[in-house]
Formats: sequence, C-alpha cells, structure tokens
Amino acid sequence: MKQGVRNILNNNIASVATFCVLTVSLLIVGFTGVFTYNINSFVSGVEDKNEVVIFLTDDADDIYIEELGGKLRSDENISEVIFWSKEEALEGIKEDMNDAEDIFGYIDENPLPDAYRIKIKDISRMSSTLYAINSYSHIEKVKAPYDFVNILTGLKSAITVVSGIIFISLMLVCFVMISNITRASVETRHREIIIMKFVGATDGFIKIPFFIEGLVLGVLAGVVASALTFVGYDRLVMLLSTETTLFSAMGSSGFIPLDKFMWQLAAVYVAAGALFASLGTVASVKKHVKV
Amino acid sequence: MIELKNVSVTYKNGVDALNDVSLKINDGEFAFVVGESGAGKSTLIRLLTREVKADDRADVKSVIKVNGFDLMKMKQRDVHKLRRTIGFVFQNFMLIDSMTVYDNVAFVLRCIDAPTKYIRKRVPQVIGLLGLKDKKDSYPSELSGGEQQRVALARALVNNPQLIIADEPTGNLDPRTSVEIVKLLKEINDRGTTVLMVTHEHELVKRMGGRLINIRKGEISFDDRI
Repeated sequence: MKQGVRNILNNNIASVATFCVLTVSLLIVGFTGVFTYNINSFVSGVEDKNEVVIFLTDDADDIYIEELGGKLRSDENISEVIFWSKEEALEGIKEDMNDAEDIFGYIDENPLPDAYRIKIKDISRMSSTLYAINSYSHIEKVKAPYDFVNILTGLKSAITVVSGIIFISLMLVCFVMISNITRASVETRHREIIIMKFVGATDGFIKIPFFIEGLVLGVLAGVVASALTFVGYDRLVMLLSTETTLFSAMGSSGFIPLDKFMWQLAAVYVAAGALFASLGTVASVKKHVKV
Repeated sequence: MIELKNVSVTYKNGVDALNDVSLKINDGEFAFVVGESGAGKSTLIRLLTREVKADDRADVKSVIKVNGFDLMKMKQRDVHKLRRTIGFVFQNFMLIDSMTVYDNVAFVLRCIDAPTKYIRKRVPQVIGLLGLKDKKDSYPSELSGGEQQRVALARALVNNPQLIIADEPTGNLDPRTSVEIVKLLKEINDRGTTVLMVTHEHELVKRMGGRLINIRKGEISFDDRI
C-alpha cells in the first residue's frame, strides 16, 4: 500500500497523465450515459401518456363488467384501469356541448356504451395485450393510439440502438486511452521492474504496488469525475432548457433531477475508475514481469 | 557453485545459442567469460539466472545447478529464490535515476522485504565499502561512470550474494576506471563471493589474470587459467 502511494508521488507526471485520462474518460462515458438516461426517461414519460379505451357491448351486465375490470387489473402490462360508465360518458358530452343541450331532450335512452380506460405499461407489447383483450366477450371496440405507439416504439428502439453504439464506441475509445496511458506509465518504470525481478522480488511484490497505484488513481478519478458531474449537470440542464429550442420545450422539469441518480453514478464512476486503472496497470506490468 | 552438464539452448527462432556446454565454477572462484558477439555469452548468463531454459533433450540428461538450486527442475514461482543468491552488475549500470545512491542500494533490500532496521544498518556499510559514503545523497546523473558502476556493485553486494554476475561491467568505462572496477570485483571475490565476469576486453583480462572461459559458436573453446 505504502509503495503504491509512494509510486504515485515519485512518478507524478505519469500519475497526473493517467489521472487526467481516467477522469476525462469517465466524464465522457458518464455524461453520455446520463444524457441517454434523460432521453429514455423523456420518451417513457410520453409513453406513460398512452390511453386505450375498451368499449363494451350493451348486453354486458354489472357482474361481467366487474369481472372484466378484475381481469384487466391483473394484467401485468396494464398500469391503470378506470371504469367509464355510459352515464359518465353522456355527462361528459353534455358538458362539452353546453350550448346544444336541447338535443339531448330528444334522446330516450343513453346510446353510449360503458367503457374501460386503460394505460399500457410497455407499449412495445401493446399488440399482444390488446389481442388478449379482444378475445374477451362483450367487447364492442378497442380504441388504441396505434400511430402514436408505432412512432414512439420506433423512436425508442432507434434511441436504444444509437445510444448503445455511441456508448460502446466511447467505452472502447476510453479503454484504449486508459490502457495506453497505463502502459506508458509502466513503460517509464521498465528499468525499475527489471531490477526488481533480478534482485529476487516476487511477482506479487512487483504487481501489488502497481495495482494499488491504479486503484488509488482510479478512485481519485472517480471522485473528481463525480464532483464535476454534480457541478456540471445542473448548470448544463439550466443552459439547455433556456438556450436551446428542443429542450426549452421540455423545461428543466423534463430532465431527471440530479439527486435521483447521483450516488449510483458516483458508485459507478469510482468502481469503473478503480477497475480499469488497476487492471490496466497490472496487465501492463505483466509483460515486464516475464523475465 | 555453478555446474552445467550437457546443456544446450535453442531459441524459438531455431538459433542454437549454446551447444552441449559443460562447465563447473567452484565457490569463491573468479572467472572471466569472453567471446565474440553472438557467441553465446549472454545466453549463458540468461541461463544461469533462469531467464531462458535449457533444451529438454531426450537423449542426454542435462544438469544446471546454481548456488544449490537445480534449474532443470525449478518451477517458475521459485525463480526469485535463486535470484536472491545472485548479485547483478550490468554494462549500462541500470540505476534508477529518480533515486539517490542510498535508495538505489536500499531498493534491493526493500524488494525482498528486509526489515527496515537491517536496511538502515546494511546499506551504509556497503556504501562505505565501495567508497561512496560522500555520495550517498547524490542522484545517478550527478555521478561519473565509474561512480555509477560502484553504486551498481554496492547494489549487487548488499544482499550478501553467493555469486556476482557482471555482464560487461567495464563496457562503458575508460581503461583506468575499468581496472578499478575489476579490482573491486577481485576484492569482493577475496571475501569469498564467486564472481563471473563477462567481457570482450582481452587486454583487461590478460592484465588481471585468472580463469578464462572462451565461448565460440555456442561451445566452450577454451577454459583454463592464464
């Protein structure tokens, strides 16, 4: 442990370079992740606004309506079930057509059907859910926002694919950057490692300080990247929601609040920093140890 | 003691570096190893330090024994034990530029987890023995070539090795300093440490005298006292 920390201090240029590359890499990948998380959350928010209306036939009695309600509530892809009686529907129309109230005097019987208004949890599975509903008896018609769902599902899968590609590419770029910088850092101490081998140091004795050094630098980079994200995120949200047309429509409330993910992100930063730096350093040392 | 019997080394690229070499160097001996470039001198050293392994031949039983270790049977994880009994001196000194003379010498003992108390006692002793007392806080860049090689000698000695292998230790030094370094090696040898010195400086060998082993095309072509 002492040797690992001493190495950082003795090799300050290499250590600073490794630390900077690690921090920048974590920030690049972290901000991409946070941005994707926000986009997904925005799309999911829109997705939650979907509504399917199930109109029932007139011969459906109260017992059946109650039974159907139970079936709908037990469906794991339905998040909300509201019964909308024919009387409520008529009242709604009357309110909407306030100035033509006389028309309703000519109607003896309420012609509107009873209905259920439901919300689908995962709209990509909406078809199968609606197929099941259509198979129930006394269903007059199911009205669903198919166009909205198709656009949203397409958008969502496009975002997933594009952000996935960007995320993986950035991860690879960062991994290459980290492995190069750790290799360069170890390379500068090639002589030290060779001497250690020749004087009879064990492989573990040689590797452990490098491992500790990588671990300390990785954790430090994780902490600094977390701090920078915490400071930067709120300001970025403010800037985007006031300065850009696309995001100003969403307003700052459209973004996920920082406190919802900050500790998870910090944990990922620290863990990823420590893992990449320590393993990268040890992998680079391994080559020199084979003497 | 070094003992080699019927040892051959063939590199992966097919080059026969050593061919059926047999050799014995007793404890406390001083031997020069000479030979042209590519003759097999470096391979011999690498063999003794277990950087390379001898060919495993079905027809002949090869033997390599160094300081009581059987290198033909030695497992990779035990190589450090062998190396703790050997002190190395390199042509290019191989000192760590960011460390002082004291730390360069102490580095060896730190690497083998020696107690701090022992390091504090032993390092000044060896530094004094090599006449570097006044230079203990200097960095390698502040020293002459001869002084740097003396630091390397101190580093090789600090762990009380049974054997010192010096690979062209005078290669980067002027003739006068070269003689000084060889004299120091002789002094170390007089105290009971076996010394194996690889060199291509025949004049120096003639002047110092002693056992001479000449390697030619992977074979020992001469082995006698001069």
